[in-house]
Amino acid sequence: MTLEAAAGQALSGISVGMVLFLIAVGLSIIFGTLKVLNLAHGSIYMVGGFLCFGFTSALAHVPGAFWWTLILAPLAVALLGGLIEILLLRRIYDQDVLYQYILTFGLILILGESCKFIWGVGYHTVSAPWPVEGKIPIWGLSFPVYNLFLIGCGVVVFLGLLALMRYTGLGRMIRAVTYNREMANALGVNVPRVYTGVFMLGCWLAGLAGTLMPPMSVVALGSDMAVIIECFIIVVIGGLGSLPGAFLGAVILGLLTAFGIYVIPKLAVAFAFLLMIAILIIRPWGLMGKPE
Amino acid sequence: MTKRLARTFPSHRLTLLFTLLVLLLLVPLILKASWASLATEMLIMALAGCALNVMLGYTGMVSFGPAGLYAVGAYTTAILLSRYHSSFVLAVLGAPILAGIVGVIVGWFCVRRSATYFALLTLAFSQIIWTVIFEWYDFTGGDNGIVSIPIPEFFFTISYCYYFTLAIVAGCLTLLWTIVQSPFGKTLQAIRENPGRTEFIAIHLKRYQLAAFTLSSVFLGVAGSLYCVFSGSVFPDYAHWVKSTDMLVVCLLGGFYHFAGPMVGAMVYILLSKLIAKQTMFWMFFLGAIIIFLVLFMRNGIVGFISEKLASALGRASESGAKEGSR
Amino acid sequence: MRKALVFAVTAFMVTILAGGLAAPVQAQEKNPIVVGFIHSMSGAMSMYGISSEAGGQIAVEEINAAGGILGRPLKMITRDDKLNPEVGLREAKDLLLSEKADFLTGTISSAVALAISNYIKRDKKIFIVNISQSSSITEENWHRYIFRIDTNAVPYWGYAPALALGRTWKDKKIVSLGFDYEMGKNAIRQFKEKYLQIVPEAKIIDEIWAPLNTTDFTAHISKIANSGADAFFLSCIYGGGELAFTKQAYAFGLYDKMHAIQPCAGDVETWHGVKKGEPYPKGALATCRYPFWAIQDPKNKAFVEKHNKKAGFYPSYGAMNQYVIMYALKAAIEKVGAVDTEKIVNALENMTLDTFVGKVPIRAYDHQAMMPTWFGIIDFAPNLPFPHIPKAEVVGEESYHTVEQIKQLRGGK
Repeated sequence: MTLEAAAGQALSGISVGMVLFLIAVGLSIIFGTLKVLNLAHGSIYMVGGFLCFGFTSALAHVPGAFWWTLILAPLAVALLGGLIEILLLRRIYDQDVLYQYILTFGLILILGESCKFIWGVGYHTVSAPWPVEGKIPIWGLSFPVYNLFLIGCGVVVFLGLLALMRYTGLGRMIRAVTYNREMANALGVNVPRVYTGVFMLGCWLAGLAGTLMPPMSVVALGSDMAVIIECFIIVVIGGLGSLPGAFLGAVILGLLTAFGIYVIPKLAVAFAFLLMIAILIIRPWGLMGKPE
Repeated sequence: MTKRLARTFPSHRLTLLFTLLVLLLLVPLILKASWASLATEMLIMALAGCALNVMLGYTGMVSFGPAGLYAVGAYTTAILLSRYHSSFVLAVLGAPILAGIVGVIVGWFCVRRSATYFALLTLAFSQIIWTVIFEWYDFTGGDNGIVSIPIPEFFFTISYCYYFTLAIVAGCLTLLWTIVQSPFGKTLQAIRENPGRTEFIAIHLKRYQLAAFTLSSVFLGVAGSLYCVFSGSVFPDYAHWVKSTDMLVVCLLGGFYHFAGPMVGAMVYILLSKLIAKQTMFWMFFLGAIIIFLVLFMRNGIVGFISEKLASALGRASESGAKEGSR
Repeated sequence: MRKALVFAVTAFMVTILAGGLAAPVQAQEKNPIVVGFIHSMSGAMSMYGISSEAGGQIAVEEINAAGGILGRPLKMITRDDKLNPEVGLREAKDLLLSEKADFLTGTISSAVALAISNYIKRDKKIFIVNISQSSSITEENWHRYIFRIDTNAVPYWGYAPALALGRTWKDKKIVSLGFDYEMGKNAIRQFKEKYLQIVPEAKIIDEIWAPLNTTDFTAHISKIANSGADAFFLSCIYGGGELAFTKQAYAFGLYDKMHAIQPCAGDVETWHGVKKGEPYPKGALATCRYPFWAIQDPKNKAFVEKHNKKAGFYPSYGAMNQYVIMYALKAAIEKVGAVDTEKIVNALENMTLDTFVGKVPIRAYDHQAMMPTWFGIIDFAPNLPFPHIPKAEVVGEESYHTVEQIKQLRGGK
């Protein structure tokens, strides 16, 4: 493999990783603060994808339809998340992880079937919008501009969230609730509202990922099941609740895929699980998480 | 053991149990053959559920990966029969043994951690088992599974297969009942209630948890083996996390604080799936809604729910006192 | 605990009673001939289930309007296998035992088909496969009661693309990308087998594998682009994965850089939503199982219209197969004069089906109908809004494994 080819492959790996990061970061935040393992995270992402298709179709004659959708669809998903949190999730906080798992599994079924009911069983596509369509020659490869755009989005989202957590009042509240819920409550923080807010943020992120994905991929039933396990792997490797951890975990997984197909294609999948197991046993709080 | 059995079974319970057994024996005779087939499936799922419940309900260990051990049992029987042409008895006995061995190994790793991390570990191991089965085409048939397993012709008759399954399941359940009623079982429940205190009274927590995990695995292996005999084929999806979720729902549906919970859960779950699927293309929606309803409003499952309602309706305060001691 | 037992017993009794009493009252009209249809009616592949069911129902309606079979009405009962062999098996048993089905048809999942095939082998009922592609169903795992009226993975994914490439570009350096499962591996093996017979100097310079259900092929595409091959071959990448791959490959300019051999691209179900100007498998060599636009027989046009009305979209090959299956059963039953499984097996074995895709013989050795496979270059053409193969050529029996080859696979029997 030439240096150019290796560089091109690394770029592809980072692209794959950024896509995964965008999908997984919402799960990490939700788990970090709410301590809820949201199995339905993949389904919320899928709803985002279908909404992207829905909005872009409805706004087809509006110039810049995709960009409007990028604003509207994640908001819609966040609202859906808020509904889910208030009506359902609230009742199972502090409950055994079993209930969270099964409740969110029930959500997978409901969300999936709703998508099928509204949008049918076929595949849907969305075109890459101006100005990020087309390709650029990089390192001897014709690389799609949209993938570069996604890499940019991933970095922006990561930095934005870091800034939110570290420098804003809202971020401080969220961190306070994460570290010590009772104390935060005693200090006058409206904990239930923060919880709802964080869940909505996580869903907004999932919706954003779901909206960004269709131009380079496909909107289809079953995409929720396909991503959720990968999300779990990333979040575990990076550290449940750690933002930089999710970023690192996603990049690792992306590069593993990109170079794994050169080296050990067959066992690449199992390798990710083995890494997950190793981390859970040796350092369960992940590469960048904090021990509880 | 019989004396202990007798002690845990006062006469009215024995009558009930006897009636149940008679009814079960009559199933193939009074119902159509397709019901006998469905009943066989229910029995197998009931065993799987009760096996999982040893970990879940009795020891408080939430596992996301029971299907992995179930598949190990199924594939052991399948491979012994089709590849090594072993005797039927050996193939069926091999399943729980191998499932137990895999269970000990997997369990040893998993019990290092608790709660969420434990659950994630079981999920990861279960997915590794799935991947191994899926990839190792030469040995396990890969994604094609193994079909045309040389099962003795005896089992082609649905009622014979049913009786065989009934016998094995009844035997296993009796064994499980004895185990959970024993001091060992009481210790497990103590671990569930308050692990810290239990450790304090010199119980080696991890050893008991590992024992529970292994016990669960052994009986999950039996269930898997029975399903292999019943269907004559095995597929990698027997190990998939969605199948694990089915088992968890069965336990939750029936009520995992009662021994009989998973049995009721298995029956209702399979029946419901079948009935709803016949009505609508969107049956998964209703299943999801039922599951959510369960978690929010019927956390003790059907059996728990009925128990509570019956107890309050009959207004027997003494009953609740007796309930504490008689489980 | 006592309450639990009480409940268990009561529940059980209720179930038994309900089950026993709810025995369906057989509408005692003319005793219908029952065909069970098991398919994926929900979930990601349900488009094919719905389409196949529609195709079958069209046949049922036509047959009954013409007086049924031997004076008896034909009835098709649909069940959902949920892409799960356990469920499929359960439904098969229920159809045969409760609904007294005379024949079983269906499935898209090869695992379900194999499970059902294994079951009916011992129950001695006929099962006709309508989509499931795994060649082992009619090769290694063949038995007397299994039939397939559909192409299978050998022609569709392997031999037909090889023949097609041999008649068009004859590329020498090929890189393959496949889903990492058994059919994917078999497809590339069979493609290689046949193609190297036609173009012996050709080489598969690399085989790339992606886990099943991948939708992000970025890394794989960059590897293909850097491979230096003349063409890439997609091994068993279909449905949503194929659509995603096409978009990504198109965005990478892969279709301009090298030739594309994309078998599944010919089946238009994937491209229904794709309009001109959007990414599509530009100039790819594809195989197709049912190019309904290219078949001139008026019966075909009538079928397409009826399917459009029933299902709301163009017919898939599953619909066409199911239609042919119903008529095949009709022909066999009428030839034999009764619903006698053994005699119908014999009748089917030696039958040539008269369909609107041509005369299709059923080969006796493997009970595989020699359904044709078409191939051609993908393009947009005015007659349809989505990309397809405007000029389709056909291959027939030469694209299947020969009897000799199957004999070897069966261990010389």
